[in-house]
Amino acid sequence: MEPSSAPTLVVSAVHKSYRRSQVLRDVDLSAAPGEVVALTGENGAGKSTLLRICAGLLRPDSGTVTVTGHTGYCPQSPGLFELLTAEEHLVMFGRGVGLSRATSIDRGRRLLDGFGFPAGKPLATRDMSGGTRQKLNLALAVLADPALLLLDEPYQGFDRGTYVNFWDHCDVWRRQGKAVVVVTHMLAELGRVDRVVELPAHASRRN
Amino acid sequence: MLSARRVLIMAEMHGRDLLRRRAALLLLIALPLAFYLSAGRTARFSVTAGGVGMAFAIAGATLFSTLSSAEVDQRLVLGGYRPAELLLGRLLFLGPLGLVIAGAFSVMMVGFADPVKPWLLVLGVALVALQSVPLGLAVGTGVARELEGTLVIIGVVGIQMAAAPDSMVAKVLPFYQPQQLIIAGVDGQGPVLWPLFWTMVYGLALLALARIFVGSRLDVAARRARDERVEAPSPS
Repeated sequence: MEPSSAPTLVVSAVHKSYRRSQVLRDVDLSAAPGEVVALTGENGAGKSTLLRICAGLLRPDSGTVTVTGHTGYCPQSPGLFELLTAEEHLVMFGRGVGLSRATSIDRGRRLLDGFGFPAGKPLATRDMSGGTRQKLNLALAVLADPALLLLDEPYQGFDRGTYVNFWDHCDVWRRQGKAVVVVTHMLAELGRVDRVVELPAHASRRN
Repeated sequence: MLSARRVLIMAEMHGRDLLRRRAALLLLIALPLAFYLSAGRTARFSVTAGGVGMAFAIAGATLFSTLSSAEVDQRLVLGGYRPAELLLGRLLFLGPLGLVIAGAFSVMMVGFADPVKPWLLVLGVALVALQSVPLGLAVGTGVARELEGTLVIIGVVGIQMAAAPDSMVAKVLPFYQPQQLIIAGVDGQGPVLWPLFWTMVYGLALLALARIFVGSRLDVAARRARDERVEAPSPS
């Protein structure tokens, strides 16, 4: 699907400081349906902060964020219950958007299979490898079929095959008409996105 | 509108998570027991100490449950939960769990302390358990980290134990009224309805405080989720 003109995400003139350190200054960002946007920048440039603001988890000091439709957010470090299994997480997150237990598990299982989540005896998340936890994290972000996907380096801990597979999934989400914003350092993959937005370096590193 | 299904699923998941922590469960029972058995000067003192140990244990478990899932809570609110549903889910699991611990503990205390009015002792211990959950929720939502939260709970419960029973400080702390019921149970005299009423008021006030704290913490995500609900109805 070609990106349409009405954006799913519009970020206008966002400023954010932590104490006296300004992280984001006058940042604009948009993502249209069917568009994959890569968000790049040096460490400390504020990529994760911007994504958290877009997700509604952090309030900007000034500026506006407008989102049309449901948001799926995949943070860099998976915030999960240590002793719950993947299926239990699917049920809990699915219930938030009104999915039944069976539908949550069925839909989530298909997503996890697509990401190469290992089958077998259910494990608590604390007993999973980092990459496996991240696959669950990603599946939870996509579970409710969101219009906007905000992914903060979602492939951390993925092996090579799963990493390539992740970008194939981005193509699928694009065709489904989702707006996708991916924080990434992987410059080799920037050819697979529609647009690259680079955040300027943190003020302390600017000349 | 609050959804009973979302509250129930939260209670279920908190239950599953906590019940798999065998060592923590053991400590939940061992802590009040250790307080009770180590304070064997008089029946009144050891029963009060046991209640304090139970308050530490249940408020501590609630604090941990609240703070350890702060990141998940944000995502859950973004994913359609209301902040109040997250609180009620915890309350729905931890309240009954506290009552189970209080029940077992009461049986033992009634057996050893030989109270004049056993039912009052049981009621007082149950109220300590129930009051501990809103206290843990209020502290857990009001502080950012476990260390601060633990210190606040140690402070509140410790001062309650150390302060002179009739001092003003003791009277404004959350376990004063349940403590009056426990003492009335042991001695056979003292008010009943007044402590019962004020324990309920205090508990509700702590819950309201927790609701305010959690609301301010999850405020942006909650507003975003509300906007989404207005725009696009949830899938069934």
